[in-house]
Amino acid sequence: MTEPAVAVRSLTKVFPIPFRRTKLVAVRGLDLEVAPGQVYGLLGPNGSGKSTTLKIILGLVSPTSGSTAIFGRDSREVGSREAVGFLPENPYFYKYLTGAETLRFYGKLCGLRGSALKNRVEELLHLVGLQDARDRRLGGYSKGMLQRIGLAQALLQEPRLVVLDEPTAGVDPAGSRDIRDLILDLKRRGITVLLSSHLLAQVQEICDRVGILAHGLLVREGRVEDLLAIEDQTELILQNATPEVLAQIAALVEKSPAQLLETRQPQTTLERLFLEATNNTEKK
Amino acid sequence: MIRALLVAVLLLAFGAVRVPIESSISAQHRSAYFHETKLGLDLREQIGQLGFLAALSGFRSLVADVIFIQAHVAWERTEWGRVLLLFREVTTLQPRLILFWDMAAWHMAWNASVAAMRDTTLPNDAMRRKAQQEYFALGKDFLERGIKNNPDRPQLYEALARLCKDKLGDHSAAARLYAQAAKLEGAPEFDERFAAYELSYAPGQERAAYDALLALYQRGSHERLPTLLKRLKILEKKLDIPLDQRIPDHEP
Amino acid sequence: MKHRAFSPVRIAALTGNTFTELVRLKVFYFLLIFALLLIGSSIFMAQLSFQQEFQVLKDVSLGAMSIFTSLLAIVATAQLLPRDMEERTIYTILAKPVPRYEYLAGKLAGVLLLLLVSLLAMTAVFLAVLFVRQEMLASETLRQTTGLRPEQVQEAVRALKASAFSANLLPGIVVVYLKAALLASLTLFISTFATSNIFTIFVMVFIYFIGHLQATAREYWLQENSAGWIAKTFLALVALAFPDLQLFNLVDDIVAGTTIPNGLFAQTALLGCVYTSVYFFFAWVVFYGKEL
Repeated sequence: MTEPAVAVRSLTKVFPIPFRRTKLVAVRGLDLEVAPGQVYGLLGPNGSGKSTTLKIILGLVSPTSGSTAIFGRDSREVGSREAVGFLPENPYFYKYLTGAETLRFYGKLCGLRGSALKNRVEELLHLVGLQDARDRRLGGYSKGMLQRIGLAQALLQEPRLVVLDEPTAGVDPAGSRDIRDLILDLKRRGITVLLSSHLLAQVQEICDRVGILAHGLLVREGRVEDLLAIEDQTELILQNATPEVLAQIAALVEKSPAQLLETRQPQTTLERLFLEATNNTEKK
Repeated sequence: MIRALLVAVLLLAFGAVRVPIESSISAQHRSAYFHETKLGLDLREQIGQLGFLAALSGFRSLVADVIFIQAHVAWERTEWGRVLLLFREVTTLQPRLILFWDMAAWHMAWNASVAAMRDTTLPNDAMRRKAQQEYFALGKDFLERGIKNNPDRPQLYEALARLCKDKLGDHSAAARLYAQAAKLEGAPEFDERFAAYELSYAPGQERAAYDALLALYQRGSHERLPTLLKRLKILEKKLDIPLDQRIPDHEP
Repeated sequence: MKHRAFSPVRIAALTGNTFTELVRLKVFYFLLIFALLLIGSSIFMAQLSFQQEFQVLKDVSLGAMSIFTSLLAIVATAQLLPRDMEERTIYTILAKPVPRYEYLAGKLAGVLLLLLVSLLAMTAVFLAVLFVRQEMLASETLRQTTGLRPEQVQEAVRALKASAFSANLLPGIVVVYLKAALLASLTLFISTFATSNIFTIFVMVFIYFIGHLQATAREYWLQENSAGWIAKTFLALVALAFPDLQLFNLVDDIVAGTTIPNGLFAQTALLGCVYTSVYFFFAWVVFYGKEL
């Protein structure tokens, strides 16, 4: 059996609230496993314990009980973070550094140096499409650019696991499309991705598996298709169907035990419309 | 919570380890003449809350300078009472600075005392003389306290010797002070000579003065300065030294 | 790849970054103020004699160096951790294979580097002003003394130079640095559990004042006297919990001409290094288990 990329075992985290008797239970007895190469989405409303779980996995917060491990190494070991890249929610990096300087700084923290560091920085600037902004201070970056430099920063040491906290929150549709493409690219290269989000539609397209958290409990977990499939329904999408064809189908359905619930014109998503429109203006 | 307790215990333990060490270093500092300044309540009353706070927190010598400059201005306006008070503050704040003691004494014994003799607000010369004597005493007091704070340095002994000889006419005291100064590290070589000169003016000390001067004379030609030769001749005459023991009239 | 528990490269990267961060914060305006103060103070010194002038110049310069480095140490350090936590950059750093003590060490080293650079710059300005005034006065003296015997002229110039600069000042400046290092380390310690940087600065200002009185409390505590046990306990707590900052205030007396023996200087300097290291260790003890 291969080692899981992330293993969370009966994890509980309780935050004491200072000067009060009550305690805040952020995570209750969570068990979770992410297989290598998967894109795993941790879903849930704000305050459901997603960020806390990620922070515990990264060793930023210590668990009250239970444990977490990355590729078999306990999160409390500093060395476990060799294999992880992390992009926090709404990251702010040092505003006074340029894009290239930022990557060089984090590269040194990962133990890179010399020409290896230089090449890696160039490669990542290219990957996230920020070559043109490499010498601009981060203070002048847009939200989407910050998110991309953050992603580049997470990929510096060629991690086997990338952890993304709300990667598309607050980013415009084009930016979030780019980020999703980057995530799919990571998946193609065999990198495990663990992300948290409350934007379900976006997650749906890219995740292999999702876990849904509510009040610190894992309420659903499984493959996306399995979770979403409505097993006793079937969707037909026809192109250039004449009214006769539709009438025949309706007649067939009538004769069978099946039931026709709804006939409608499929709609494009607002997002796709937005992307098409903005792309067109760009081309002009 | 446990961690907070641990840190508190560590902090106190560190304190327990370092307090004896600090006591020892502090004592050594003091014997090297550091931290002599006594920042007491009376000083706080004099220089005000703000100045006192500044003096406490690393601005002591700066506060002293500011008051020193105030004293300088007061001197230019010949406000002698104010000069006196301000110099008391200055020397309390910075007792290790020779310059301040020296200036304070000089203002009292040389400047204020002379001004007192020309003070037309005083009714008669007797009162003026009395005022002058008081200023001499004030100057002497500054120098004596200065010496108490700086027993390791010759300059204030010299200054007090000058005051004794020029203003008080006390040559034997001046001689004693020059001799004390001469023993200290960094004292100029003339201190020993000056001690002997002063002794030669002191009534009843002729013999001792003669011995001292002769000893210097015998050290070699570099000590045989015109004044030394002159004083020696006068004493030879006074003490009736046999002719064959007297020094030659002209240097060979 | 085996993870290295201690990496100078990582600390150097954090140090450099902290230094850049602080320099961009315009704390270097301190230096500008310092230079202005020096130049400004020489204006009202025109009426003084040269000994007085150099005395005031040295007092102002060294007093300003002492207070500025101390202030800089407190203000610069107080905002390092809160800022990283608020802007969440600390997550990106600690999510890398960076041990927490390395993160703290990088922060402290960055401040110490900043303090060193500022103090060196202030010393340079100070020496430059002193040198220029000395040369001006020397040429003035030469002009005033034309016709006098050459050895007398030389004596006058020598006296002038002696009152301008003495090498005794250097240990004083080193101790000023050590005091600032102690304060920076202590500020880092406070900021690991403080709720805001204002709180840290407030606590540090308090410690700064009490620290200058610690020696007095310690002496009263150690003295055999009839103080009640409540007073004794209070004095003991002050002596044990607060650093003795007065020990690092040598410069006032050094300016006045007191010299410090080498052995004693070494002890004082060592004590400063111990303070800095121990407070750094305390900072790590708190920060090690901190929930971010």
